[in-house]
Amino acid sequence: MIRVSLSSHPSYYYLRIFFFSSICFGTLSSISAADKVDFSHEIVPILRARCAECHAGDNKKGGFSINDRLSALTGGESGRVIELGNAGKSYLMELVKSDDPDVQMPPQGKRLTTKEIETVSRWIDEGAAWEAGFTFDKQPYEPSLELTTPTLPPATDGREHPIDRLIDHYLAERKIPRPQGISDRVFLRRSSLDLVGLLPNPDRVRTFVESQKLGKRTEWLEELLTDDVGYADHWMSFWNDLLRNDYSGTGFITGGRKQISTWLYRSLIDNKPFDRMVHELVSPTDDESRGFIDGIKWRGEVSAGQTIEIQFSQSVAQSFLGINMKCASCHDSFIDRWKLKDAYGLAAIYASKPLAIHRCDKATGEVAVATWLYPELGNVDPQATATERLRQLADLVTSPRNGRFSRTIVNRLWHRMMGRGLVNPVDAMQTEPWHEALLDHLASHFVEISYDLRKMLLYIATSEAYQSTTESQSSEPQDTDYHYAGPRARRLTAEQFLDAVWTVSGKAPLAYDAPIVRGKVKPAAIAAATPAGKWIWAKVEETENGNDNKNTILFLKNFTLNELPKTAGIVITANREYSLFINHQLIGKDADFKTFEMFPIHKQLQQGENTIAVIAQGPTNAPANGLLYVDSIMHLEDEREMRIASDESWQFSTTPPAVDGRKLNATHPENLDSVIIPSTNANQRKTIENQTPMLLARAGIRDDRMIRASLVKNSFLMRSLGRPNRDQIVSMRPNDLTTLEAMDLSNGQPISDALVEAGKQYAERFAEAPTELVSSLYEQILTREATPEEMQISTDVLGTKPRAEAVEDLCWALFMSPEFQYIR
Amino acid sequence: MDTKHNKTRITSIKHIERRDFLTALGAAHVAAWMANEPILATTSQPSLDEISKPTADACILLWMAGGMAAPDTFDPKRYLPYENGLEVAKMLSTFPSIDTNVDGIRICEGLENIAKVMDRGTLIRSAIQPDLGSILHSRHQYHWHTGYVPPQTVAAPHLGAWMAKVLGPRNPVIPPFINIGQRLEGVGESEELKAFTTAGFFGSEFGPLNLPFPDQAAASVRPPKGMDSNRFADRNKLFKQLVDRNPHREYMSDYQHQSLLRSMDNAYRLLSSTEREAFDITLEPKASREIYDTGRFGQGVLLARRLVEAGARFVEVTTEYVPFLHWDTHKSGHETVARLHQEIDRPIAQLILDLEARGLLDRTLVIIASEFSRDALMEGKPGSNANDQATFKVDTISDPAHYGLHRHFTHGSSVLMFGGGVKRGFLYGQTADERPLMAVKNPVTVTDLHATIMSAMGISPKTEFTIEGRPFYVTEDGLGKPVTEIFA
Repeated sequence: MIRVSLSSHPSYYYLRIFFFSSICFGTLSSISAADKVDFSHEIVPILRARCAECHAGDNKKGGFSINDRLSALTGGESGRVIELGNAGKSYLMELVKSDDPDVQMPPQGKRLTTKEIETVSRWIDEGAAWEAGFTFDKQPYEPSLELTTPTLPPATDGREHPIDRLIDHYLAERKIPRPQGISDRVFLRRSSLDLVGLLPNPDRVRTFVESQKLGKRTEWLEELLTDDVGYADHWMSFWNDLLRNDYSGTGFITGGRKQISTWLYRSLIDNKPFDRMVHELVSPTDDESRGFIDGIKWRGEVSAGQTIEIQFSQSVAQSFLGINMKCASCHDSFIDRWKLKDAYGLAAIYASKPLAIHRCDKATGEVAVATWLYPELGNVDPQATATERLRQLADLVTSPRNGRFSRTIVNRLWHRMMGRGLVNPVDAMQTEPWHEALLDHLASHFVEISYDLRKMLLYIATSEAYQSTTESQSSEPQDTDYHYAGPRARRLTAEQFLDAVWTVSGKAPLAYDAPIVRGKVKPAAIAAATPAGKWIWAKVEETENGNDNKNTILFLKNFTLNELPKTAGIVITANREYSLFINHQLIGKDADFKTFEMFPIHKQLQQGENTIAVIAQGPTNAPANGLLYVDSIMHLEDEREMRIASDESWQFSTTPPAVDGRKLNATHPENLDSVIIPSTNANQRKTIENQTPMLLARAGIRDDRMIRASLVKNSFLMRSLGRPNRDQIVSMRPNDLTTLEAMDLSNGQPISDALVEAGKQYAERFAEAPTELVSSLYEQILTREATPEEMQISTDVLGTKPRAEAVEDLCWALFMSPEFQYIR
Repeated sequence: MDTKHNKTRITSIKHIERRDFLTALGAAHVAAWMANEPILATTSQPSLDEISKPTADACILLWMAGGMAAPDTFDPKRYLPYENGLEVAKMLSTFPSIDTNVDGIRICEGLENIAKVMDRGTLIRSAIQPDLGSILHSRHQYHWHTGYVPPQTVAAPHLGAWMAKVLGPRNPVIPPFINIGQRLEGVGESEELKAFTTAGFFGSEFGPLNLPFPDQAAASVRPPKGMDSNRFADRNKLFKQLVDRNPHREYMSDYQHQSLLRSMDNAYRLLSSTEREAFDITLEPKASREIYDTGRFGQGVLLARRLVEAGARFVEVTTEYVPFLHWDTHKSGHETVARLHQEIDRPIAQLILDLEARGLLDRTLVIIASEFSRDALMEGKPGSNANDQATFKVDTISDPAHYGLHRHFTHGSSVLMFGGGVKRGFLYGQTADERPLMAVKNPVTVTDLHATIMSAMGISPKTEFTIEGRPFYVTEDGLGKPVTEIFA
């Protein structure tokens, strides 16, 4: 139960009157009393109950409207009714106090109480403050819940795609010029970044541009969308943002939060229909997708507006219906029609116990009744079990009759593909779209194609509208007064940016954090994967001279392969920072004991003798008692499998060979000890069973692709470039580069390191060919040829024999250019 | 002289105009202002006298991370030295008290240098915090730094971000929000620390420049490793040339294009400016450097002084939060705090003297604070149901490791302030002399403390931004009341 902290304050000094805080954001800490009348909480209810019927919305009896402050101050036919700062002289006060039936306000019904009169009077005395933007006018846009099927205007100029028929008509009506089509190169760049998040391959670009084939663009789009892994890698970020899922973050340390990554990635790989996805999120049938509705459970007390039940209400409403339930989970919303009881009704569907309604953190004495937001579609049975209620809710949310559901998601997809939502911001679905018919057309189409996300993206991408030039904006974009004039440029996400830098530099990470398998793998296959390793323990004996130089341990295993495996991977962790070498080549490094890593090793294995070596480095001046776990799995022809795992047969040494860059020098140190004790600790055993089956399954898939930024934990650089802390749902990332970000890009280590690498590689590859080098960089980074002028500037800098440093600087200049950082 | 505060006043008046403007916009726009972009607005019209004149232009927060025990620092109580068999129930302070240069203010032994500058400061002994039903340092730190208890439905901005957003930089090339001494990777609860070390919904433009290692701060504003300043300048020239000659002329005047170039320019200006020398503490005269250099914290304080001299707006220096280390004393509390006294005493006192000597103290608010206090016996506050997290649950002490204040206490902690308009040699609030050592006079909540700090900086406690259609205030719900008594 929520304990409101006010009650727990010793009363000897807390002699203040409790007062509704003006707009409450979880009020747990003690609050001070406010002296002034609070417009939202004190005045609005009075005006709404006593005045609005005749003086709000379209009703202006006596020419007087309280729709907004200006109207209220202006007064009506009989002149001003409010004298600012002087209730005594305000006609309004006379009216509400009067007993004369011909004069009194309100003319019928209950009169204002003495206390209400006093409040209004004080409010006027204090200057009649008003909530910015607040209005009593008709509630904003609320279309019918069911989708309409708009008639398509005739096609013009052979532009048959329904999206174009609707948009061309829109443009013609408003006499807005139709944006021009884009070149093949712009198209390839844009679609590749939008659909799989990567820069297009320059060779493919050249072939494509030369091709005269009809329908080549559609073919290209289809190819991108059939790339399961590319698609899933890229869209993982979109869904993680929307479902506030991540691989690290607040709440994980106290066990109050669970990932849905495994389920999510697989859903994307399998192209699970969207209604199915949401059904599994709202009404999970197993633990894999539970994390979304279970939210973040904090240790200790939280405000009533942030209990896990209310989080459920807020998340379901925001993610799938574009409804901001955050206001209504504290008090009736001022910005849309949702009320406190709506927020709690939705929360009660999830609640396993009776849920007491709290207004601004104070119990109202009522208990919430499970009910959902659009009863016209049916409702949940409050008497049913929580599991059953969730199932019923999932049915209702995903019902084809629920237009809000399909409109919300197609709008989000449109926003991603076109740079701005039909409704914008995308979480404010109560806003009128700039093209209502188009939104409904897209939503209906989405229902028709059975909520197939990839087909929907294809549908948008094949339109001429998608394939047209982006609008150039002379000033900061605003949400109001929008007219479509082409797609809008969108900034590369942190993930797209890093992926591009890694593509050019080859500096992508060697392993990833997401608990996923990059390919089609059946859950059963993961369940069937059994770990084969044992924890092995290398105990370093104290010597008389202390433990000089004994903070580093080498673990070693030799084995023979009669044939080369098709795939091979190694699952590993150690209690020290370790480096893993296969046949003397560095494969990977890690320092996090609690998390296992999987590194693919098939490229380094050879027929005949092989060596696995692990160098575990302890802190200086401490004996490096090493704990290691290794389990490698190799898949041979005919479904045969070979395992090499840590066990008693491994050897270790406290005098490891030197490491030279990425190479391990000597192979067989002489003084190998062999006192390795299998660990029998039950907790350690459990960690293995929890984490490694997924990694073993991952090792069973041949994965030569670059590791993508979307699959690794958030980093400073990514955070700086806009990847959110996913404690809250963030459906729109910032579109502008800030100064601090620019600093990270100008001198930050991760970018610098990658660029040094890129510089070296290109300088080596094009040792005496600066022109080719520049061409290659432009094609790779900007998907176009350098202009003669650009070529001149660049080659002037590079000289005839480009130095790595000069190439590095050119790379930087290209990566920093607006042309690169925005998708146009 | 800085004239920013005048500008702030004007801005505040503009809020009112804007509000009227928004009201006049009417219904059609209500939905539209559910934007993700925060919009400045004020609900209740601040009267002109509420928009107080700022008394400080810059702010340095010296953060005692992990829970600084008031009875072992600035609020000494009955002292009992270590002895075998000492009853924990009798233990209040583990340090004897010493005189300061202010009559009636005594602090703990080990803080002799601070005692000598006490006549420049105000000591609040009655800061209180909610116990939140469970003590999790990072959660209380979130509350202290943002004014809001997590979780919140939107990401709350750090107080430094508020200053950055509302006041902007004092010197355009020095980032307005600088955070010194806290590693955010590789330490416990790092995700939780990151959750409030941020500008939240203001966006990263107002976020912190993080400098976890003061002696490496210079590198973070230098051209990348291995690049000399000539090459750095040439690289920038090449960038500009290529941007100028970009064939896509149609986007040259585009808003986003321009905005990106502006940010790149700003970054280049800082990374090649003379002000960046302020980040390099090795440029400090050796004698001065030695006074400060008691370790990472002391170096951080020195760095903060240099940055404020160069025009920083808000700088936080932390002793660093690492679970169970430093002020987070779960065992050997006395011994640890004795070391911490040494770490903080000289640098803090020197900072005050240096700021004074440079004529900066009057306009620089220096705050020494912590997420809560500690006690030998009591967890949370009286009546709390917070879990007792003490490592030793003993009634009598049999080991020096037991000697110390090992429990988290939330209802009476000390905050020391200097400069920035606060009274000199002033004591505010009081805690009980016997356990529970609660604030018994003039309790100051986190909300009111925020209101005090913000008011000193010229930011009305009611300042608000609209996010997702709702107002979000600088002090919780706009209700913070500044402690006016502490201002001169």
